[in-house]
Amino acid sequence: MRSSIPGSGTENAPAEAGDRKPVDVDVLPEGGEVAATGNPWAVVARTFAQNRLAMFGVGVVVVVTLFSFIGPLFHPTDQLNPNLLEVHLPPGGGHLLGTDSQGFDILGRLMEGGKSSIEVGLAVGIIATLIGLIYGAVSGFFGGAVDGVLMRVVDVGYAIPVVFLFIFMSQLVTPSLTLLIALLVAVSWLIPARLVRGETLSLRTREYVQAVQVMGGRSWRIILRHIVPNTIGTIMVTVTFQVANAILTLAVLQYLGFGLPPSTPTWGGMLSEGTTYLQDGYWWQVYPPLFIIVITVVAFNFIGDALQDAFDVRLQER
Amino acid sequence: MTGYIIRRLGEAIIVTLGVTMITFALLHLLPGNLAHDVLGPRASPQELAQFTQQNGLNRPIYVQYWLFLEKLLHGNLGYSYQYNRSVDSLLASELPRDLVLGGLSLIFALLIAIPVGVAQAVRRNGVLDYTSTGVSFLLYSMPQYAIALLLIQFLSISFHVLPAEAPQSSSALGMLAHPAGLVLPVASLTLVTFAQFSRYMRSSAIDTLAQDYIRTARAKGLSERLVLWRHLLRNSLVTVVTLVGLSIPLVITGTLIIEQVFNFPGAGLEYLQATLSNDYEVMLGITVLVGVVTVLGNLVADIGYAILDPRIRY
Amino acid sequence: MQKLARHGVAASAAVLVMVLAAACGSSSSSSGNSSGSSAASASASLPTNGAGLTQPTTPAGTRLSGGTVFFTEGPDAAPNYIFPMYSPQVCSTANNNQLEYMMYRPLYWYGNNYRPNIDYDYSIGEQPQFSDGNKTVTIKLNSWKWSNGEPVTSRDLVFWMNMMKASPATEWCGYVPGYFPDNVASYSAPDPQTFVLHFTKDYNPTWVTYDELSQLTPIPLAWDRTSLSQPAPTSDNGHLPDTTKAGAAAVYKFLDGEAKKPGSWATSPLWQVVDGPFHLQSFTTAGEATLVPNPDYSGSPKATISKLVELPFTSETAIYNQLRSAGPSSLTVANLPSQYAPQISALEAIGYTDNKAASYSFNYFPLNLHNPKVGPIFSQMYFRQAFQHLLDQQGWIKAFLTDTAIPTCGPVPDAPPSSLVSAASISFTPCAFSTSAAQQLLSSHGWKVVPGGTTTCQNPSLCGAGITQGEGISFTLDYESGVVSVQNEMNDLAAQAKKVGININLTTHPFGTVISTAVACQPSQPTCKWQAENWGAGWIYGPSYLPTGEQLFAPGAVANYGSYNDASTTQLISEVTVASNETQELDAYAQNVSQRVPVVFQPTSIGTYQGDAGTLVAKNLGGYAANALGLMNPEDWYFTR
Repeated sequence: MRSSIPGSGTENAPAEAGDRKPVDVDVLPEGGEVAATGNPWAVVARTFAQNRLAMFGVGVVVVVTLFSFIGPLFHPTDQLNPNLLEVHLPPGGGHLLGTDSQGFDILGRLMEGGKSSIEVGLAVGIIATLIGLIYGAVSGFFGGAVDGVLMRVVDVGYAIPVVFLFIFMSQLVTPSLTLLIALLVAVSWLIPARLVRGETLSLRTREYVQAVQVMGGRSWRIILRHIVPNTIGTIMVTVTFQVANAILTLAVLQYLGFGLPPSTPTWGGMLSEGTTYLQDGYWWQVYPPLFIIVITVVAFNFIGDALQDAFDVRLQER
Repeated sequence: MTGYIIRRLGEAIIVTLGVTMITFALLHLLPGNLAHDVLGPRASPQELAQFTQQNGLNRPIYVQYWLFLEKLLHGNLGYSYQYNRSVDSLLASELPRDLVLGGLSLIFALLIAIPVGVAQAVRRNGVLDYTSTGVSFLLYSMPQYAIALLLIQFLSISFHVLPAEAPQSSSALGMLAHPAGLVLPVASLTLVTFAQFSRYMRSSAIDTLAQDYIRTARAKGLSERLVLWRHLLRNSLVTVVTLVGLSIPLVITGTLIIEQVFNFPGAGLEYLQATLSNDYEVMLGITVLVGVVTVLGNLVADIGYAILDPRIRY
Repeated sequence: MQKLARHGVAASAAVLVMVLAAACGSSSSSSGNSSGSSAASASASLPTNGAGLTQPTTPAGTRLSGGTVFFTEGPDAAPNYIFPMYSPQVCSTANNNQLEYMMYRPLYWYGNNYRPNIDYDYSIGEQPQFSDGNKTVTIKLNSWKWSNGEPVTSRDLVFWMNMMKASPATEWCGYVPGYFPDNVASYSAPDPQTFVLHFTKDYNPTWVTYDELSQLTPIPLAWDRTSLSQPAPTSDNGHLPDTTKAGAAAVYKFLDGEAKKPGSWATSPLWQVVDGPFHLQSFTTAGEATLVPNPDYSGSPKATISKLVELPFTSETAIYNQLRSAGPSSLTVANLPSQYAPQISALEAIGYTDNKAASYSFNYFPLNLHNPKVGPIFSQMYFRQAFQHLLDQQGWIKAFLTDTAIPTCGPVPDAPPSSLVSAASISFTPCAFSTSAAQQLLSSHGWKVVPGGTTTCQNPSLCGAGITQGEGISFTLDYESGVVSVQNEMNDLAAQAKKVGININLTTHPFGTVISTAVACQPSQPTCKWQAENWGAGWIYGPSYLPTGEQLFAPGAVANYGSYNDASTTQLISEVTVASNETQELDAYAQNVSQRVPVVFQPTSIGTYQGDAGTLVAKNLGGYAANALGLMNPEDWYFTR
């Protein structure tokens, strides 16, 4: 099982060493230094838009989403009833991408599969990051014993093999989409938690934060209004990487047999099944799902990477 | 420094205990009856009762957990019903092989990723940067089993260049004696890991290059090469240390798919099979091992930071 | 033998013995295939390729002596037990057929030349003689020797029986309460070459020969001790440990314990005492077994190959990859998973022959007639018949199994052809795939069929006892995970069921979980929650080699997982064991079971394991002949150049 390390970030380095990434910047002028070069978001957006790979990524994500959700309206197929007379048909004549081992149209199945992949990916990415964000901010802000305990819990979470958790859960209950999302969130929130905690540790030493504290500002207020917004950069980057990882992890789980029920159309299931028949020359069952998984994951990774660069650039221009 | 290590060790123990507790609890939530699974559905009620009694399965869960801990402290990781051997002996034969596989791919991944990552950072947004990024992301985004199967298809079956099986030797040295068989499994692992590593190296190197002391060094007239070697690399090694620390537990559990595809029975596959056949003690034993190794990996990484960067104070 | 696993790993022992005896135990002559019922032969036309089926392979070229045969163990199915008295949890093909039987020959051998018949040429015992109204069986032994010099004598069989009698339920995979060894009143060894058994009942001799005597294996007196530090007995001194019940139990316990230490097998003084054609040279932790010829083998022929290496594999993909990339020089005999059936020609091109040889088995899955919720519906025969009509076996065989299986409608296998079976007993009517027939059965029994919706019972008096007004039919069908063909089949079944308003909820679990869930139970027990469990495989006959139903369909039988209980079937089952006209009784039994559908029959694969498309044999391996029961005779094999 691939470890879910995002494209960069040293979330494992102790925050006291200072993050290797200089993201501790005051984005919002609320009570802090004034940003030097005008609206910082415009800078981010501009840098992002200049990154060709990122634009490509955005394009791909849009296309794939439309393909999965709007596609079936134009290309309706029956993905429920096997058609025993049309199994393993090569592309052509009514089936643009051929059929699979149960006679289902592959193009239509890719569309259906996209729905679950994208839903899972987005849900996991956003929810896991949100949870990690709150957890990390609280842990970093309060520090001391609170931080110690909370981070040990994160350590324990890291130490439990992901495979184990999934195998175990699938033995208890047949996974539904919701349950799967919950499980993926459970293993994905650890990284954002660490990252945000690291940032928070350095942020809380900022003078304006200390100033608010001296002035008697409440902790929660500080966390929500000063800490969290300053970690937006990291958050955004993390979300995209989490989405990418979730989609990929889902594909691997289908291969191992611990994901959604096998009769559900999923990209991972299609790829896994296709590899069974790889040797028989049924290439149309292997390369289309592989292609769409890879390109979608790559797209999200490009976006995340570009966001990272964009936030860095903003810092460089200071 | 010593105080730090001691403190971290203490935390490591706590974390390991936490891992064992959670694993133990989860395992007992699983449906199915251990006695039933081991003795088979034909076993008589008396047999089942006897087995349950002998193994303390009818005692409260915290008592069972305590017994488990006791055994663990004596170095007994449990007994496999499927293989009729102790978990220790199973791991003793499987771990060295995993270490060869994981170790080799880790080394190669580092050897490739470090120079590539640094080169990308130095020539940022150039052709090399974009190409390497593209290739890295591509590799990183493919499911591991797809890479492995495609490699086999092309290099073993279509063109008989390399064997489709990993070396079947039971010892690490025996495996190293058949390098041809190691190429594909190690390559499958390396291709993915190096992609991740080079991304790390790149961003870490970029950050370092932006630091003041680099500018100072350049201003002092130091050759670019010296700048890179002396300052950049050493400071970027922190990243490497992180990655190595994180990769160590993966040597055991992350090679699962490679093991299955290349007919290479190692600890990862062992784990999967144990789960499928409800071989609880093997599952527990390996989980504990992974937990310990993860924590140790982090500890090693943390100590590494402290050595590398004197600015780090605990 | 047991639930035939996908990879030959079985969990329980159920020997379905079907007795079809034409005459008094004729050996290997076959009266040919089912000539009578044309319908049967049409549907049962087993795709064959001729070579190596009923006759051993005879490749051209000079016969060599020596050479290493590499043989594939099933995926994740390495041997884990070596003692021939295998208990239910170690009862697997990997252990007995592929390991124990080559070193410790059972008393009688069956299945040669692809006929499920007894073969006295390969047996230690001669044809058994029945007397005293068939209650007494006298067996004369050939002169064999153990590798430590001990002769194989009837005392060795007494030793076996003593241990078996001590606690058969826990020690012996083939145990059926009331049958062997419970039905053995007494046994003795009047002289070293003669063994006598007295049964409690006047059984049919063929049934005894195929079902009861098949459970005997002589074991050396050198094993008759309770610890390794004790000296190994070399002959009977009258008071060896096995002569007392407690002693026999202690000896069993000791041997069982030693058998569970694979690391010690190759060097143990126990397991190196063999009477079979091979002995174990080494066994690795990964499960690779190396066997070498036993120079003191008394039978014939003696092995000419120099080594037999059994290779473990992690997955079917790994087996196939190795076949394609390394070829016959690295894998001599390999089972081919069915998803690679389209590759057979490519494999033949690199030097293999594909032997499409089935093992004497049939594939099915049980319904839980005791489930509190749907048990009453399942208990209705018309429902089971209707449900059986929803399986498109022909369609599945073509689409999902690439023609590597045959339709199954009853407990008597279509293949391999058996002289013990009469044509009428074989699945004579392919259970027709017909949603309309299913619909008809349901509606004529008080159900309002709503295609695509939910069929409900409108007339409980017609529906059956325990079924309420307005009740629908929906249940969970749990099947083995990881096998694409099973997944596809179950998917199709659910889709077909929906067409007659039956709602099937599909779930999937690993093989081990499925078989441990499908247990016989009472409705109030928590273990009775399962409704339908499909482990994707069926039954292979062994060590009782006749297919009768005392273990599967009689009430209270050890493998009657669904708790099927039908007086007519039960009656026929017991009649078969004692009948004088076996053929007639067996016909009646088989037809009864086919009609009453106690379990849901599904296509049976060609190959040693379910889900296989046959066995690949290197073209230069001579002497290979498929065994009808999955047994192996590597002593017959030789290489040619």
